[in-house]
Amino acid sequence: MLDGVGVNSLEQYMTLLADRQKLVAANIANADTPGFKTKDIDFQTEFTNALQGTQPNVTEVQGLVVKNDGNNVSLDREARLLAENALRFNIASNLLRGQIHTLRMAIEGGGGSSA
Amino acid sequence: MSLFNSLDVSASGMAAQRARAEVLVENLANADTTRTAEGGPYRRKDVVFESSATASPFSSVFQSAIDGQATGVQVSQIVTDSSAPVMRYMPGHPDADKDGFVAFPHVNPAEDMVDLMGASRGYGANVAAMSAIKDMIQRSIDLFR
Amino acid sequence: MTAPISPVTSTPAIEAPRLDSITSGQGNGSEFRSLLSSAIQHVEVAQNKADTAVQGFLSGENDELHSTILATQRADLEFDMFLQVRNKVVSAYQEIMRMQI
Repeated sequence: MLDGVGVNSLEQYMTLLADRQKLVAANIANADTPGFKTKDIDFQTEFTNALQGTQPNVTEVQGLVVKNDGNNVSLDREARLLAENALRFNIASNLLRGQIHTLRMAIEGGGGSSA
Repeated sequence: MSLFNSLDVSASGMAAQRARAEVLVENLANADTTRTAEGGPYRRKDVVFESSATASPFSSVFQSAIDGQATGVQVSQIVTDSSAPVMRYMPGHPDADKDGFVAFPHVNPAEDMVDLMGASRGYGANVAAMSAIKDMIQRSIDLFR
Repeated sequence: MTAPISPVTSTPAIEAPRLDSITSGQGNGSEFRSLLSSAIQHVEVAQNKADTAVQGFLSGENDELHSTILATQRADLEFDMFLQVRNKVVSAYQEIMRMQI
């Protein structure tokens, strides 16, 4: 029950989004730390591999402008990701809630057992 | 627990940016201070940021890989400028030396103002991050409904 | 062409279904029993997972809060299902009990 693919995928999705958001928060906190490189995970790849239960790979983001002190955090990029991750998490949690609700309705049927 | 840990990360960012702002404000306020208690002009200060692991009292030793990577920040040291002060020729000044030069701090107000704006922006970004994460935790709790 | 009517031989006595036939697992009782026991097993497994998840949350070992909450919701739904199954089984049994007179 609730072990169907639909619900498990949503849970994995939410877990990965949370992981990604943690890295965004760390990037923002270290936006002015000398030498700090922006970190992220490859979301699509990790989501496909998520069912194996391994920890996601944290990678350094390529193609960012490096400032004089070696830091390459772009607050614009992080702010955008912050909003996107939060919205996706929101969607996923609403979908999950709906599924739980539907299952409960199905189980309880027309209101209790018949005499 | 690790989304909760992220709150600590954002909090550390806020604290670091605030410390940076405080130092910059001190520099700006003392941009023309030619006499201090220790003698000599004011010496500007700078903060040095460093990545640091954050641990809340609720977390355990079993940290996931992500938690190890999602580090916070701390002010590792406050550096006092030790270079020679800026000398300006002002013979009538009470702090002028025998040649009429007054030692002034190495503070460039324009630069520190821009820096201060950066600190303010950084602080705001950390506040936004903390708010977003708090919202995600709340949504998880809403799964109970 | 109709078949000849055969003489009436002894008719089997109508027996009341006994409670021990359910507990001993014989006849129709065993089907009720296996239904209930498989539903209970699902509940136990889900409950254990939920307990582990909550323990993990309290000690800080767990990965994510939503996983813990989903585990408790799953246990909830399993238990709900079990309750419904049990109610149906009991009412079906009662119906059979009523029938035999």
